[in-house]
Amino acid sequence: MKIDDLLCGQELSFTGKILVMRDAAQMRLRELQEQDRPLPFKLEGTVVFYAGPAKPTKESFGAIGPTTSIRMDCFLEMLFQQGVQATIGKGKRSDLATSLCRRYGRAYLLAPSGAAASLSKRIKSLRVIAYEDLGTEAVYEIEVEDFPLIVATDKNGLDIFSLNRG
Amino acid sequence: MIDENSILNRIEEALVKANTTLDDRTLAFLDDYNGPFSAILRENAVISEESGLPLCQDTGFIEFFVFMGHEVVLQRPISEILDNAVRNVYSNNPYRYSVVKDPLQHRENTGDNTPSVLHTFSQTGRRLEIRFLVKGGGSENLSRLFMLNPTTTQKELVDTIVHSVLENGARGCPPLKIGIGIGGSSEISMILSKLALTREIDVANPDPYYAMLEERLLCEINSLGIGYQGLGKGITAYSVSIETAPTHIATLPVSLAVDCYLSRRGVLVFED
Repeated sequence: MKIDDLLCGQELSFTGKILVMRDAAQMRLRELQEQDRPLPFKLEGTVVFYAGPAKPTKESFGAIGPTTSIRMDCFLEMLFQQGVQATIGKGKRSDLATSLCRRYGRAYLLAPSGAAASLSKRIKSLRVIAYEDLGTEAVYEIEVEDFPLIVATDKNGLDIFSLNRG
Repeated sequence: MIDENSILNRIEEALVKANTTLDDRTLAFLDDYNGPFSAILRENAVISEESGLPLCQDTGFIEFFVFMGHEVVLQRPISEILDNAVRNVYSNNPYRYSVVKDPLQHRENTGDNTPSVLHTFSQTGRRLEIRFLVKGGGSENLSRLFMLNPTTTQKELVDTIVHSVLENGARGCPPLKIGIGIGGSSEISMILSKLALTREIDVANPDPYYAMLEERLLCEINSLGIGYQGLGKGITAYSVSIETAPTHIATLPVSLAVDCYLSRRGVLVFED
């Protein structure tokens, strides 16, 4: 994913690796950072998806979909400082998040909510990379194919929700 | 006596159905909707029903509303029967455990999606009615309690609700189902707003004044143009349902509860 090329409102079909994490894992990362301790995995160059998957079946990875991004705004600068290129979630974020996208030249993308069975079929591999004890809130690396996304905030800080409000 | 297994079986079946099957109103929305992600939403409905994977990864915190006739006899407390149903369904299906035990300190997952939330209401007779919501966290975070002045006008009340939906509605996975509780004490008002979410979408409040208020709120909320996922396309809300209760002379509690576009719920009736 080339962040520089993404424009607010653009629809994408993404194929590649995504790091999945949400509230509890980011809380742990922040604690480590505050204690000047190393993080258990690299964030440089990654795309972070705010999500917690359901349980898998024999035939399929678990249902997956975006959770509300605004809850993660307090961790966004930490992610950008660690080199995260883009985040994926749902819903309008705070003004802080939009200005961080502009300052760091990063993007925020939307994945469809209420489409979790369909999205699970676009996962090609999944592995836990940290905090397995958190269950659904562990950190996962997934490989996806044709994952539908929309650019909500681009590197210039243009935001789809502000545009929709006129 | 109502047989425990008949309650268990029917609740379990209804919980699975709510997690994997769209109701008619949501299907009608999808038929009309041509905005962003419309193709994958339609595909999702088919895959979920065929595969048993849930429609949404957030398979919720289960909230029960139980209307218990005074002559109804059960083999064990209703809370145990309902938690057993939830435990069975969530342990045996590819759903998500979304409940943590301690809310602030440890937040460790309970590992079976229990306990569920239970509100009981007593009534006369042999009838047992169980309503439930499969309540996701995103829409739940939009719940609000407004302790308004008793001299508040209808317009001020409408503005309070509409403003809250304008500010927050986009992240509750619209189109939304809106529940409003008016009156009671603070906590009764909140419970009424949730109870309102269990009502059928096309059933209005029996009092014409509140039925009109439901219409007015729905009209104003839909004129916000929030649309599916806040992207401006498609309707913003399916319905507004109001429940009311007597209140204190000094108070006017008004509560807002919101359910997401999947509107996962059920109603079951048993006779003793």
